[in-house]
Amino acid sequence: MIQVKNLTKHYGPRRAIHNLNFSIEKGDVVGFLGPNGAGKSTTMKIITGFMAPSSGEASVAGYDVFVNPIEVKKHIGYLPETPPVYSDMYVREYLQYVAALKQVPKSKIEKYVDNAIDKTHLGDVQKRLIGHLSKGFKQRVGIAQAIVSDPEILILDEPTVGLDPKQVAEIRDLIKELKGQHTIILSTHILPEVQATCEKIIIIHHGEIVAQDSIHNLAMMDKGKSRLRIRLRKDAENLHSVLSEINQVISVKAGTSAKDWEIDLQGGDEVVDAISSSIVAKGYGLVELSPSKIDLEDVFLKLTYGEQGGEA
Amino acid sequence: MSSTLTIFKKELKGFYLNPTFWIICFMVSLVFSWVYPIQLDLFAQLLLNYVMQQGIPQNQLNIHYGVFLRQLSYLNLMLIFVVPALTMKLFAEEKKLRTFDLLLTSPVTSVQIVLGKYFAALGAVAGIVMLALAYPLATATLASLNWGPLMVAFLGIFLVGGVYTAMDLFSSSLTDNSIVAYVTSVILNVSIWFIGIGAEVVDGEKLRKVFEHVSLSSHLSSLVEGTIRSSSLVFFLSIVVLFCFLAERVVESSRWR
Repeated sequence: MIQVKNLTKHYGPRRAIHNLNFSIEKGDVVGFLGPNGAGKSTTMKIITGFMAPSSGEASVAGYDVFVNPIEVKKHIGYLPETPPVYSDMYVREYLQYVAALKQVPKSKIEKYVDNAIDKTHLGDVQKRLIGHLSKGFKQRVGIAQAIVSDPEILILDEPTVGLDPKQVAEIRDLIKELKGQHTIILSTHILPEVQATCEKIIIIHHGEIVAQDSIHNLAMMDKGKSRLRIRLRKDAENLHSVLSEINQVISVKAGTSAKDWEIDLQGGDEVVDAISSSIVAKGYGLVELSPSKIDLEDVFLKLTYGEQGGEA
Repeated sequence: MSSTLTIFKKELKGFYLNPTFWIICFMVSLVFSWVYPIQLDLFAQLLLNYVMQQGIPQNQLNIHYGVFLRQLSYLNLMLIFVVPALTMKLFAEEKKLRTFDLLLTSPVTSVQIVLGKYFAALGAVAGIVMLALAYPLATATLASLNWGPLMVAFLGIFLVGGVYTAMDLFSSSLTDNSIVAYVTSVILNVSIWFIGIGAEVVDGEKLRKVFEHVSLSSHLSSLVEGTIRSSSLVFFLSIVVLFCFLAERVVESSRWR
């Protein structure tokens, strides 16, 4: 559905994205994850045909975004960071305008607008001026605007930024509802959002893709893995060699002192048992042993902020 | 084409359903309601006394010159400042409020965007010209008028309004600041009247002819006297096309910058 090849974009001397390659299949819900300024919005803007890449190519539904932007735009519903709403228009009037702009046939406009209003629960405010709505409602109008032409692809740039927790939950539910009907690309730097809604994630950092996989695999990468925090009574200088006999131990790292250690391991309780017994056997005095879960956040931090260890 | 119409309708609605437009109309009519009766009165006095006064130019005894053309020159003066107020938001505000993103990600071309907005602004300018036309129309209840020259003269000023609209649309496309757009527009509107001045300082006959031909006032003067010259129409049209083209280039540039 979406193919991106060697996509590069420079803003003057600054490199926003560099050699991005990815493809998105029909029906996928893809999370675009990265810290602020990683190049998420830039990539999305190029896919929507909003602006051209410096080099490389992107195609949507078989059309190259640079050669045939009009065709591409017919297939895409886009919610930019700032919802593009006119404050002096009524909600319904605005959606009718957008539908006409997206070349929805005249006879179907009313039906499509009703549909979008239904999906985004805007029924109560459809006759109000957009300028008078709260930020959350404006954001919803922005989403309604993106889905009003019933596009195959939905591109949502940080759809929940600046909303209160209840509104965030509502928008997430909405995105879940839209799943299956559209191919969705969602950009965010909020992890739970991706976990809640996406099947596949692309993590981007400094304009380059650092990981792309299904959320299941990325979590799996750490599922069989667990991390133990241990605290000893005595200083242990060479815990590495002590634990090197146990094959399932992946890494051993010193914590704040020679008494605190972090051990990454692959396997279940029997490995924990082996570790504790060998530490005790060496006489270091095991005071504390607690499992700490590695989740998506660790993967993300590791990939973007270069935390050591693991299969980055 | 339908996209142009969609944008045209939305923008035109935006003008006519916006209080700003009606406040402008109110101000314009306030000025005319003050000046026009005075002009009419002066003209009436002139007619009463013309036997006694020697050396009055013949054309001043014609209501077209004595009243209507003066009104048109006031209208022109007001258009210089009013048209920028109407057009300044067309691109500048869309850029500032990021609603421009919607247009740029919709299946519309830059040409369609510019044309839709240009014709909508032209529709608003037409409204103001119509408002000014109401005064001569009201005069028709008191006197019999020669409609031909009057209509051609108003067409002339409407075309000048069209030229302003194109230039101001262009200057609005250059910035995301409405005030900058307004000031640039006013300067453009004023300066186009000074191009013709070049005719008075250049030496060569040919060069002088060129300056005369690109002077807005020489083309307008034939129209306001009631003569339609195809060269004038072509001249106005080419300025409009030139600036619409420039605006289109600016809009398009945001796609590859």
